[in-house]
Parts: sequence; C-alpha cells; structure tokens
Amino acid sequence: MQGPLIDTLARQGITRRTFLKYCATLASMMALPPAAGRAMAEAMAAARRPSVIWLPFQECTGCTESITRSHSPTLEGMIFDMISLDYQETLMAAAGHQAEEARHAAMKDNAGKYLLVVDGSIPLGLDGAYSCIGGRSNVDILKEAAEGAAAIVAMGSCASFGGIPKANPNPTGAVSVSDIIKDKPIVNIPGCPPIPVVMTGVLAHYLTFGSLPELDEKGRPKAFFGETIHDRCYRRPFYDQGKFAKTFDDEGARQGWCLFELGCKGPVTYNACATVKWNGGTSWPVESGHGCLGCSEPDFWDAGGFYKALSVPADPLKIAAAAAVAGAVAGVAVSFANRAKKNTAKQTHEPITVDDLEK
Amino acid sequence: MSLDAIPIHVINPPPGEPGLTGNAPPLLRELSELVKRLLASGETSAIDLSALPLTPADLDWLRERLGEGEINVTLQANGESTLNETACSGIWWVTHHNEQGAVTSQFIEVAFVPELVKAHPQDVQIGQEYLELLISDL
Repeated sequence: MQGPLIDTLARQGITRRTFLKYCATLASMMALPPAAGRAMAEAMAAARRPSVIWLPFQECTGCTESITRSHSPTLEGMIFDMISLDYQETLMAAAGHQAEEARHAAMKDNAGKYLLVVDGSIPLGLDGAYSCIGGRSNVDILKEAAEGAAAIVAMGSCASFGGIPKANPNPTGAVSVSDIIKDKPIVNIPGCPPIPVVMTGVLAHYLTFGSLPELDEKGRPKAFFGETIHDRCYRRPFYDQGKFAKTFDDEGARQGWCLFELGCKGPVTYNACATVKWNGGTSWPVESGHGCLGCSEPDFWDAGGFYKALSVPADPLKIAAAAAVAGAVAGVAVSFANRAKKNTAKQTHEPITVDDLEK
Repeated sequence: MSLDAIPIHVINPPPGEPGLTGNAPPLLRELSELVKRLLASGETSAIDLSALPLTPADLDWLRERLGEGEINVTLQANGESTLNETACSGIWWVTHHNEQGAVTSQFIEVAFVPELVKAHPQDVQIGQEYLELLISDL
C-alpha cells in the first residue's frame, strides 16, 4: 500500500472523477480558488502516504470517535486511511512494547517528515505523573515525538487550549500542546469534538501544498474558523428581527427562533458547524433546538454557564449592516450583506471574549 | 406514534422571500472576461458560486440569464453531478450533489469541455488493457 494515492483509491472502487469532485468540493469549503481543487486532486493522487503518529494524552477518545465515525464510509474516512497511521493506541492492533517499538520505528524512519497528531491535554502537575503511557509522562513523550515532526496537529479543544482537563481548578495542571512546544508549526483544530472535515482539509492542504493552511491568531485554519457560528446561523434573521425563544418549550422555541437569550454562545464562537453540520450533514446543535456551547473556544467550560445569555449585542456593526438591508430579507441575504462590512468591522473592532459579554 | 403528535414546528429555511442582492450582474462581466481569455489563450477558469455572497434568488437570476444550452452531462460519482451547457457556449453550470442529494458545491466553469468530462490518460490506458483482454478472449 505504498503506491500513489489514486491507486489505493482505485482499489477501493473510487474513480478518478469521484476524487476530482471531492477535491473540488473540499477546495470550495476551504475557500481556495476553484483551480486549487484540480491542483489538489493532481498532487494528492500522486502523493505517497505520509507517516502520521497520533498521541492520545488526557482525553476522552471523543476526537478519535468523531474522525473514525465520520458518517463512514465517506471519502473523509477514506482519505484518513490514506495516511500511514503508524501509531494510534486506540486503533492499532499492537500493544505494550510492540506498540512503543512501532512508534520509535516510525519516528526514526520518517525523521523530520512525519505529522504528529495530538489529542488531549498534557498534565504538568507532579512532574506529569497524572498521565503516563508505558511508564513515561505525556510531556516527555510529546517533547520526544515533536522533535522529529514536520508539523503538529492539535486535535480537539484539549490539545488546542487545555479543554475540560484544564477547567477550574485544573487539578492536574493541564496545558495545551502550544504551551509546551514552541519551535514547530502547530495547527489547532478545536472543538469538543472537532469537525472531521477540518482534519481532512488540513491533511489535504498539507499533502497538496506541503504546508499547513493559513491560520488565525489562535492557530486555527482560517478557512473553517474564519467566521462565528452566529454569522452563518440559519436562525440569524430571527436575531436581527428581535425574535427570541425565552424558554426551551415556548412558542418561540417551537417557531425555531434565535436561542441567544437561552445562552447560545454562537456570537463568540468560531467554528464551521453552521455550514458543515454534523452526522453527515444531518443537523447541528442549533438546528436541534439547543444553543451553541462554544466548545471550540478556549476555556469554554469555565465561561460562566451554558444557559446564561451573553449580555451585549454580538456585534453592533453587524446589526447596523443588517438594518441597511430593507424589509424581510432572509438570512442568507443578511449574513452576506454583512460580509461586505466585515473587513471594516474587523479593522476597527476589538476582539470580544465570552468574559466581556457575560452579564 | 406519529411525528405530528409532537407540537414542534420546525421552520427551515426561515420565512420571507430571499431577495436579489445585486451581486449577480457583475458576474456576467467577469464571465465575459473569462470567455475572452478562453478564446485568446485557451485558458480555462471557474467561479466558485458557494464562495460568493449570492442568495438563491441571485443564483436563479443568473441561471435564467445564462439560459440552457444543448448539452447536459450527468455524472454519477458519489452522488449526482450535473454539468450543463448554458446558452453561452463555453460557459458550463456545474452542480455537485452528495449521495443524499444535497448540493455540496456549485461552479460556473469556462471551458470548451468541463474538466470532469474529459477522460484521464491513465484511465484510458486501463480501458485499453481491458479491451485487449476482451480481444484475447475472442
């Protein structure tokens, strides 16, 4: 299974056109120009499988579940098969010394070239004794594996920002990958769990262009984390019209109105749930009638209560822009009109956090 | 129990007619430039419609203006894709659906033949090998 990717795909009954179509859509989702879809298909079809080492630290295995159960069998899942996953404790058949040997062999054979995926936070308390694998602390293993990595992908909120293990009072002294590793490119894919296609997109970008995609100031791929849940929410027009559900069983809730007053963190949460959705595009939290928890933002667990409303309007500039669009224009129109104002807004706008907005 | 017994009425998409944003007309000018380029140098190009601020009404407006051409191509690959020629020869309206039938991406492609329709030499090679196999069995 060391041939070009397209041969491996062909063996699984995936035609070249299916792959081209997939790449075109992926490029579109990543906000790359249309020509990039073709470039991506060509580069990926010819690419050899990169070695990937996946290290699980203080985690719940939810990130692995999210990726491996991504509405299989989709191409997301298959692309994931196309990497040479040389170490993944949950999925690998090997155990004990055999498993540790596999990791060392992969690190040695692919020194400087492998991708390191990390899920879970790293405890620093008691010299890292809170989480050990094979008698070694997580922080030790991370430092060793990071040394030969071409790049590191921090999968999920724990690896990206510390996540739930870091929640007050943080008994284990949990920190994120970027708190420890300073000399390697790190891409954060936060979310609890993260969206599978973001992982695929980052991988496709790496295979195609040999580099990580453009990242925001929190190390997240801009293509997927460029806009808030609120900006892309299909319930946004109700927010603009001032129509809010006040309880989870009132008329507003039945009408599918905005969940802002029920504590939705959509306005301060950057993620792609509103567009990519979950379970193979079936639905997502807001569509199911529950506000966004903000699970892809740092310290979401300690942000003051999932059902407590944010206290100030999400973004006054955006409301002004929405008002400029006359009458009962539907959601898409409103959010797109907002986009035009967005650059100006971005330049003048101080970033707001959940803390600033809590009542 | 029937679903009607549940007193929740999901309204999706939200009510109200989506309007025209005025973002579609400039695309006609851009397309004109792209077609000129195709004629001059043979360079193909595409516009990613899902990356642009277009409402469903904008897309309908554009689709209607561009009209229907003579060729409609249907591709069955992980869901249906349609590659339809518009009344302006060389401009193709390309829509990709997933297996559930939802639109995953939409492009306007400017080319003599859309990229996806062409057979790849490697695939032609495989076809040729199969043909040889058929001949050897005669």
